[in-house]
Amino acid sequence: MKNISFYKGGSAFWYLILFGFSLSYTPAPAKTILRQLQSQPQQSQISGTITDATSPLPGVTISIKGKATSGAISDVNGKYTLTASPNDIVVFSFMGFKTITIPLNGRSVLDIQMQEDATALQEVKINAGYYSVKESERTGSIARITASAIETQPVTNVLAAMQGRMAGVSIIQTTGVPGGGFDIKIRGQNSIRTDGNSPLYIIDGVPYATDPIGYNQTASTFPSVTSPLNSINPASIESIEVLKDADATAIYGSKGANGVVLITTKRGKSGKTTVNVKSTTGVGTVTKFMKLMNTEEYLAMRRQAFSNDRITTYPQSAYDVNGTWDQNRYTDWQKEFIGGTAQFNDVQGVLSGGSNKTQFLLSSTYHTETTVFPSDFIYKKGGAQFNMNHSSEDNKFKFTFSTGYNLQNNDQPAFDLTASSRSLAPNAPALYNEDGKLNWENGTWQNPLRFMVAKFKSKTNDLVSNAVISYEIFPAVVLKSNFGFTDLRHTETRTSPSTIYNPSFNLTSSNSSIYFNTTNRQSWIIEPQLNWEKELGTSKIGVLLGGTFQNQNTTRLYQFGSGFTSNSLLYDLASATTARVLFSDDAQYKYQAFFGRINYNWNERYLFNFTGRRDGSSRFGPGKQFATFGAIGMAWLFSKENFLKENSWLSFGKLRASYGTTGNDQIGDYQFLNTYTSTGILYDSNVGLQPSRLFNPNFGWEINKKLEAAIEAGFFNDRLFLTAAWYQNRSSNQLVGIPLPGTTGFQTLQANLDATVENAGWEFTLRTVNFSTKNFNWTTNLNLTFAQNKLLRYPGLETSTNSQKYRIGQPLNIELLYEYTGIDPQKGVYQFKDINSDGAITFPNDKQTAVDLNPQYFGGIQNQLSYKNWKLDFLFQFVKQEKRNYTIGFAGQMTNQPARMADSWQQLGDDATEQIYTTGANSAAVTASSLYNQSTGILTDASFIRLKNIALSYDLPLVIQNTKCQIIFQGQNLLTLSSYKDGDPEFITAGFLPPLKIITAGIQLTF
Amino acid sequence: MKTIKLTPTSKHRNWLVFPVALVLLCITSCDSFVEVELPKSQLTTVTVFDEYATAEGALTDVYSKIRDQGLLTGTSAGLSYQLANYTDEFTCYSAPGGPALPFYFNTLLPANTSISSYWNSSYNQIFSANAVMEGVQKSAKLSVKQKEQLTGEALFIRALLHFYLTNLYGEIPYILTTDYQSNTTVKKNTVNEVYTQVISDLDTAINLLSQQYDGPERIRPNQFVAKSLLARVYLYDGAWAEAANASSAVLNATNFYFLENAISTVFLKNSKEAIWQLQPATAGKNTDEAASFIFLSGPPTMVALSDNLINSFTSSDLRKSNWTKAVSKGSDIWHHPYKYKAFNPTAASVEYSIVFRLSEQYLIRAEARAQQGDLIGAKEDLNKIRKRAGLNETTAVTQPEILNAVLQERRWELFTEYGHRFFDLKRFGKIDSVLSATKAGWNSTDVLFPLPQNELSVNPNLRPQNNGY
Repeated sequence: MKNISFYKGGSAFWYLILFGFSLSYTPAPAKTILRQLQSQPQQSQISGTITDATSPLPGVTISIKGKATSGAISDVNGKYTLTASPNDIVVFSFMGFKTITIPLNGRSVLDIQMQEDATALQEVKINAGYYSVKESERTGSIARITASAIETQPVTNVLAAMQGRMAGVSIIQTTGVPGGGFDIKIRGQNSIRTDGNSPLYIIDGVPYATDPIGYNQTASTFPSVTSPLNSINPASIESIEVLKDADATAIYGSKGANGVVLITTKRGKSGKTTVNVKSTTGVGTVTKFMKLMNTEEYLAMRRQAFSNDRITTYPQSAYDVNGTWDQNRYTDWQKEFIGGTAQFNDVQGVLSGGSNKTQFLLSSTYHTETTVFPSDFIYKKGGAQFNMNHSSEDNKFKFTFSTGYNLQNNDQPAFDLTASSRSLAPNAPALYNEDGKLNWENGTWQNPLRFMVAKFKSKTNDLVSNAVISYEIFPAVVLKSNFGFTDLRHTETRTSPSTIYNPSFNLTSSNSSIYFNTTNRQSWIIEPQLNWEKELGTSKIGVLLGGTFQNQNTTRLYQFGSGFTSNSLLYDLASATTARVLFSDDAQYKYQAFFGRINYNWNERYLFNFTGRRDGSSRFGPGKQFATFGAIGMAWLFSKENFLKENSWLSFGKLRASYGTTGNDQIGDYQFLNTYTSTGILYDSNVGLQPSRLFNPNFGWEINKKLEAAIEAGFFNDRLFLTAAWYQNRSSNQLVGIPLPGTTGFQTLQANLDATVENAGWEFTLRTVNFSTKNFNWTTNLNLTFAQNKLLRYPGLETSTNSQKYRIGQPLNIELLYEYTGIDPQKGVYQFKDINSDGAITFPNDKQTAVDLNPQYFGGIQNQLSYKNWKLDFLFQFVKQEKRNYTIGFAGQMTNQPARMADSWQQLGDDATEQIYTTGANSAAVTASSLYNQSTGILTDASFIRLKNIALSYDLPLVIQNTKCQIIFQGQNLLTLSSYKDGDPEFITAGFLPPLKIITAGIQLTF
Repeated sequence: MKTIKLTPTSKHRNWLVFPVALVLLCITSCDSFVEVELPKSQLTTVTVFDEYATAEGALTDVYSKIRDQGLLTGTSAGLSYQLANYTDEFTCYSAPGGPALPFYFNTLLPANTSISSYWNSSYNQIFSANAVMEGVQKSAKLSVKQKEQLTGEALFIRALLHFYLTNLYGEIPYILTTDYQSNTTVKKNTVNEVYTQVISDLDTAINLLSQQYDGPERIRPNQFVAKSLLARVYLYDGAWAEAANASSAVLNATNFYFLENAISTVFLKNSKEAIWQLQPATAGKNTDEAASFIFLSGPPTMVALSDNLINSFTSSDLRKSNWTKAVSKGSDIWHHPYKYKAFNPTAASVEYSIVFRLSEQYLIRAEARAQQGDLIGAKEDLNKIRKRAGLNETTAVTQPEILNAVLQERRWELFTEYGHRFFDLKRFGKIDSVLSATKAGWNSTDVLFPLPQNELSVNPNLRPQNNGY
């Protein structure tokens, strides 16, 4: 388990409390702690109330110095009781507050007023995976958010909760449809492979595989296939730590190259058994529509297009202009198709409590979310989380068990209507007839709402369970083992019923079809570890040794059925006249490692951290399976030096640096084998066998070298706290699908590429405590990231298959484009720079303008304000970037166009921004339009500032004992400032539903 | 930086056993732990060619692929459909953005996905054919007869696909091996070189293949299938005598093939005029052609036969009445191809897609004979086709007249079959004059497709791009 901090043997008491408090605060190590308990003959009950000057303070840890076995935690009203001897010294500690140590001196009532301590954040224990480390003594680069930030957001995906809150972590929502995905990059794209850049996710010590579980035939609603990450329930999370540099990630060896996301779920706390119930409800709408032509502008464009093409008789199929459709109709299709309001409902309940030795937590959530599409679709998510911690009377034996089970049930249209809503002619016919049935307007159009009966349905059941057993075999020597198990079961279907077709086609259910995807993934992990810590005079040494055995099985079954006697039997594959297994696979992944860490702390000023790992993975061929990774991290707490110790303005100062290597084995299973795969398709009674891939057994580990230097400084008692980090990651021996020409039979080859990619950047965070008074508190957190991706070295690039994809010294995801120069005044078509001056625009010679579409910088500003019972928290997210305009083919055809296309070239001498309209017959214009989409002309500034999140809460002043009631208002994506005209500026693939603007209100009861 | 020494004191020596044991545990169990077994859906290449059934599976999968994707599929992605749009066979009613429109408007661009998928799927199928040849050659367990059968079929596939590719893209690389290193930087072969290799592959295949079909159906190429292709290759190459010889060899195999008397039975499964058919993917399924061409009510939402083609038929032509079908709404009337009639699945499949059929061989020989001056023989062959279609004997007399009559007859006989119209117009040198009259977007450089942009990007040896793109 990750939250246990292994202190000196005598401070065992602390880590009992830490079990319950992943955010717990530990006082400065008291060196006089008694190693053995003394018998205390005269015990008596003491009690009191703890406040923070304004209100009662629940959750404060009360302990007795030197007695590991006694302790208490204040309740919701700040009250506590404790058994103690008259001469005991009582310690009150709470994260964010100064620790108070008071001798009891025989008193039986002890009321305490605690004072906020900005410096205390330095004392927070940070989860670093196999070990935890005090914030001030951390040598690696770790970003962190906690439940308090996650709970303010009405989101269901864990990545959504992290968006805009962490330096160096870029997160983009790819679709606003519930159950859809997010794209995350920690410190940029390391691997040239687009699918090999996901970080490693670890939930309570158990690796959580995020390889997609969807299938492109079923998950057609989303821009990318279904990711399992939606299964994680943000409400169950206590903290998320993102490990970034070599010092933090090298202990994860081959899996650490893209960073590590550590998720710690909530723990039970000792004290009174409490119940917490929260219910919220809200609405969501699309953030931003695109500005399109209205009917008048559209029809003018169409008529002009025919006139430009010298077509005088409108063709039969030009229903929009030839009089078939009403030319006075206007429908805002965006409003019709994606302009609805989604309903959000969420209920959570938490039961927790326990004694000093045993704590438990049981929580449960249920969430529903409808969509903005014009029909009844719903996403349901529910789950339960259970945690139990136990330690023996002598604290030598400890046991932790956590398990989370989440279910998702998603029912969505099979196709996202966003693209249709933008391209459909504005004078297209009504959606419904007077009788309420879909209108097909005599077969002159394909009513887009027909897809509302084609459904994408998915069910995901996900279990993540872990247990940690530890035993202190000798003083300061702890042997422990982590056992983890995951079980993911996912089924997906996409139907294509005959009712999606015009009824006049007379298609029956014998033309209905369905795709099934059943993907199951089970894994187990065992990680025995040995931990030793020792104080040697003024220095401390810690040693961790461990091993990993991991096994993962993924089974995938893709099926297809068609021809049903009735559409109501569509989900029954047995009723299909044709049922086929398209793919049936069982992939095994085995992984083994040996890791270690040596930490040396000299005088609390100089810190050295050595980590290493030797990894073996079944994803590589014989002889290539093993590799070794390692890192060194160092930190100098210069503020503790004598010459700065008494400094009045500098309260904390640390310099740290790290260097090391990590790897990446996200290449899929069995890639080194020379095999044929069954296609399941019969021909002449033989089952088809196809070559699985081009055979290359000689690929090995990708190496990612990470270098980082950072300064952390706190001023004025840490009321102003600044960190600045510079990093440089270099990936070499890249394992990629090297693009191949089609003449090889395949498009890619799995191989190591002799190229080096560098991700370098600066990350800044600034925390300021602007006001800290009795009634009013205001804290601001800023994070800002400048990142640069660069291809450093690629021998033979000019003659390689990547010659038209990469440029030395430029980012990996540059685009080589034609250089747009304006409209040809003679022909009225887009023109481009003829770089090689051969009189024609040709590929590749004229398509050489490299453009960087990476964000130049991004970040977030969070403000937390509290005034008496009121709390306000808001986050602005900002991104500086360029993106493509949204285009809908060439202007003039029977599709609507962005409003800006109205300014088109019509005749000689026109000074227009857009080219001549064509119905498709003007080959020069069609070609120019296509080139324009591959030119610099298509790019536009898509920077934005977004009010990502706002949360307002009010504690009702209640008189009932032990009860708390809070009213909560939350908003997500409420305001977006951007000069980008074509919808929302946050997307990876254009034409999918933008993120939603969500407003919710709720109430939370604690008793 | 300081070096830290971890010298254990005597007090600690005993517990050092644990980490040491842990290290030993990991190291000793390492190698075996990360070994995994083959997934159940995969076989090693060696195993595949150890057994005839699996080696056949590796080969027949190419036929499935040819049927389902790429050039010869009967779906709306295949040449039958798209070259009908590209020439004067179809009028396209597709919604904007549809993949048929760039074909219909003759505005194909190098980045067009259909263009790259024709290219990639063909070379993928060629790879599989080459892999079968190489696997068979290395196999120690297959018999000589089995090896000959598999190699012969694989050579036929390789020749067939390269033949189509060169007629669409012009100069293309001829791929003879599975070695990706040489195939990555491969250079283009001239059209002549491609033809030479196609003919050589077909000659070898003819030697290896038997006359009998492998099984009761006509779904696996035999010697006559290879000869049928060879006849077409020679015809396209202007080698008239060889073309006539090769087609004669097929036409003379009367115990296998003869023209169906009834025009309605030509496209049925096991039609006597079928030389090579593709078996549908599942029992009861019929052709993709029927599914992609037929529409049940007007107006059409995808394609219909062009007025130009429909109006060119003589009213008594049985092919018009039987191989096309009219759909009307009010006063509007449209036609769709109706060679393949089974739109829905049937208890047992009734129609298979026919890639090579006997009518074409008659027309090949008619043209080859006419070119060689054998006008009587030419007319004899041509009239066989006309007669079956319910037409009178041709009135053509002179050589140019007969050749024109053959071209016209090919249009009526072979419409919407694998792009014959496009290749015929090209061969006859009439493509510009015919198509620019009916197609506003036609340019003379449209006789070749653009080379896929991505291919030029990854293999500079394929540059330059074809003219006009």
